[in-house]
Amino acid sequence: MSNLVSIEGLTVTFTGRGKPVRAVDHVSLEVKKGSVLVLLGESGSGKSVTLRSLLRLHPEKTSKVEGRIVVDGHDIMALSKTEIGTVRGRTVSMIFQEPMLALDPVYTLGQQICEAILRHEDVTPEQAHARALALFEKVQIPSPERRLNAYPHEMSGGMRQRAMIALALACRPKVLLADEPTTALDATVQIQILLLLRALQRELGLSIIFVTHDIGVAVEIADKIAVMYAGRIVETGSVADIMHSPRHPYTRGLLASRVERAQKGDRLKTIPGSPPDLTALPPGCAFAPRCDMATQACHQQVPPLVTGDYDNAVACIHA
Amino acid sequence: MITTPHHSALDERDRGGPAQSLLSVNGLIKHFPVKSSGFFGRGGVVRAVDGVSFDIRKGETLGVVGESGCGKSTTARLLMHLIKPDQGEIIFDGEMVGIDLPLAEYRRQVQMVFQDSYASLNPRLTIEDSITFGPRIHGMAETAARAKAHDLLARVGLDPSRFAGRYPHELSGGQRQRVNIARALALDPRLLILDEAVSALDKSVEAQVLNLLQDLKADFGLTYIFISHDLNVVRFMVDRVMVMYLGTIAELGDGEAVFAAPSHPYTAALLASMPKMDPSDRTMEAPLTGDPPNPINPPSGCRFHPRCKLAEPACQTIVPPLTASASGTSQAACLVLVPQSGHSHAARVAMPEAHA
Amino acid sequence: MSVLQLSTASVLQPIARSPGYWSGVVRRVSRDPVAMTALLVIVSLILMAVFASSIAPSDPFKSSMLRRLKPIGTPGFPLGADELGRDMLSRLIYGARLSLLMGLTPVPIAFVIGSALGITAGYTGGLTNTLIMRTIDVFYAFPSVLLAVALSGALGAGLTNALVSITLVFIPPIARVAESVTTQVRSLDYIDAARASGAHAWTIIRVHVLGNVLGPIFVYATGLVSVSMILASGLSFLGLGVRPPEPEWGLMLNTLRTAIYNQPLVAALPGAMIFITSIAFNVLADGLRSAMDVKS
Repeated sequence: MSNLVSIEGLTVTFTGRGKPVRAVDHVSLEVKKGSVLVLLGESGSGKSVTLRSLLRLHPEKTSKVEGRIVVDGHDIMALSKTEIGTVRGRTVSMIFQEPMLALDPVYTLGQQICEAILRHEDVTPEQAHARALALFEKVQIPSPERRLNAYPHEMSGGMRQRAMIALALACRPKVLLADEPTTALDATVQIQILLLLRALQRELGLSIIFVTHDIGVAVEIADKIAVMYAGRIVETGSVADIMHSPRHPYTRGLLASRVERAQKGDRLKTIPGSPPDLTALPPGCAFAPRCDMATQACHQQVPPLVTGDYDNAVACIHA
Repeated sequence: MITTPHHSALDERDRGGPAQSLLSVNGLIKHFPVKSSGFFGRGGVVRAVDGVSFDIRKGETLGVVGESGCGKSTTARLLMHLIKPDQGEIIFDGEMVGIDLPLAEYRRQVQMVFQDSYASLNPRLTIEDSITFGPRIHGMAETAARAKAHDLLARVGLDPSRFAGRYPHELSGGQRQRVNIARALALDPRLLILDEAVSALDKSVEAQVLNLLQDLKADFGLTYIFISHDLNVVRFMVDRVMVMYLGTIAELGDGEAVFAAPSHPYTAALLASMPKMDPSDRTMEAPLTGDPPNPINPPSGCRFHPRCKLAEPACQTIVPPLTASASGTSQAACLVLVPQSGHSHAARVAMPEAHA
Repeated sequence: MSVLQLSTASVLQPIARSPGYWSGVVRRVSRDPVAMTALLVIVSLILMAVFASSIAPSDPFKSSMLRRLKPIGTPGFPLGADELGRDMLSRLIYGARLSLLMGLTPVPIAFVIGSALGITAGYTGGLTNTLIMRTIDVFYAFPSVLLAVALSGALGAGLTNALVSITLVFIPPIARVAESVTTQVRSLDYIDAARASGAHAWTIIRVHVLGNVLGPIFVYATGLVSVSMILASGLSFLGLGVRPPEPEWGLMLNTLRTAIYNQPLVAALPGAMIFITSIAFNVLADGLRSAMDVKS
């Protein structure tokens, strides 16, 4: 089996306050071993919610998760609390946008990494320390021995992000989930982190699911891109497919509105309207109200994701 | 090209004519004391803005770019007089701010839009009340102020009958930022400072707001200072660009020229750091290593020298002045441009032996 | 500009108005059964105090040596009689007047003074902040009970002096809360936007600061009512507040303490009243806090 991660019909509904919100709606995805999938979408598209479902990070009381998620043979939805604990970190681990919130401020980075290794594996503290040092070298932190004894607040943003990647890799996971890890960084640091993730992915044969709203970042890191809109996947394809021949009107609109492709002073081609309200989605295609190709049929039924000639798929009846 | 010199010429507040800079900044300095750790301990200073001089021409858009900590937001707040400069003068259309031109009068003519659309609106005020606040304190009658707020809302693409009575949390990020723009325009400013005004928006909304900003500029004869970390947006929006590094200007010049052929190695590195849009031409090597340094103890000489690929011993000691580039379209603070500066690439004038 | 003035003459069109923040808070509190129960208790206590003369079955001052320390349920004395043979029920009802007066008065006064100090310190910052806040810190060095007792003692016994000393005790904590929320609000962009439009500090405080800081300070102050009740009772208990034979719960608790072995239930009744009142105010404060703490 070449698919390390497979998601079938994932639907996540939040039932906290007021109306239930269907944040993810029948999402199916597959990620091959050693490949990078980018979930691309705007706020409220369900990309982060999809990612968090892989580690069952949603509060059980206020969310309903349906569908099937299999990661490296583990049926995530069927695991007990102890079993999911071993999957977290060991098989799948995650990095976040804001490392200050993910790292513990009262322990040094070395302590946190050693603790993670000792929790999952039967090694001596000395071995764990050696592994932590090797990890810091691997994520290219200068003077790693000294930085292992640093607290998170003593490091700059880019170094913290590297440290968080080291922590995520501590137990040699097979899948790395990345939730906008470069969004808060300067462009000069962002490209360094993207190159590092690409190098690690090649070297360790990692599968990465990377969530971003930035097409440029997606192009730099993705093998395959899944474009999400209003909790659904509207288009998937290789990064070249999406960039050179986008088929869904939303993807086309996103690419057409990019300033990179415009001349100074041009009017940008924009997608009219604003992102949809998840509590009041239209019955048909969620993009139809903003789409200039929409016909009567678009407003009636949610278009299925139809697989094309290669490894691509699009959910639009006009594509 | 959307430049509207004729509008500013028509403005009855215009003094020196189109040839006079709308805003001139000379030797602006702002150092923040760092809280010391001990009771009697002496903290250092953050050299947030350390000697910055530039002009903004009437009707142009000046872009300001740089990494975090380069001083671009502090510069914006200094220009807005939200914080007092330690040194330096600001001259608005020929009048020294605070001396010839009273601060209150200056502030009517310069307004600002912030990055965080939610934090820049008072959550307890309706949209209408937020927009009318400025005109009301300057003495406009309530009905007139409300009518103006409604006009502005319509102008930024929000139906006043639907939005005027709403509260900020009921709006989306893009709608809130439109309200903030309307609020800034309510005082009929001539200069609008946009501090990362589109950075927090979704890309599809960002494009709409950029279009809106271009329209408003033409309609109201505005001059913009456009601060952003996104070089692609800056390239698209600006006439001239100012690149800042650790509180100083690294390069200043015509936007298209700087983006096409940067004269400062830092500008080149910033440009090369932007993600490529072509999957077959991905970045293979990071143009800069490490994080932007801390402005508490900036390096000696050229502040960029520890990260610069062209750095030579001379760069550690000599502070490079802003010097015209070879093409004359920009000025950059790099020893390479200064003849006989001691840098081996320096204008191929002196010290040929250094090439060996 | 000309573009704007074109349509200024047009009639203002009617606009859709959203319910304001405070009506939302009121709506959420009114849907909170626990907070509503607490409010009901408080309202009944206040009504009891106001209409004490018509509710109380007998004269709270009429003593009788024969009926000293009767247990609860004695005919004619539904809640027993105190150490001087006075009707406990009537004394508890009349006691609500002084106890609530002493519990409630200091808080609003301290709220006004403390908020003014704290908001000034928080908005101005710098030297003014240091001056105000360090002075307040001096008061913080003493435990509140000790401070109230010391102030009361220095000013001399009596109702007014007790009220003054409790008020003084509450100003520092309220000022501190006011200062911290104001400092937070002060750093938000909308304050900068208001400053950038050329508004004076006082206008900014009135329009942009007050509406955003008074809520949290008010919630904190509501929670202080229970402390105030207990401090007031404590001062009366020590003989620094209300003088006998006036009925006041704290004072009653004091005079009945000798009866704790003979009639423990009767002796505990004033304490129970203080307890119920404090809890009611605390619960209401909690309800308000959660009703005001909504994320957009």
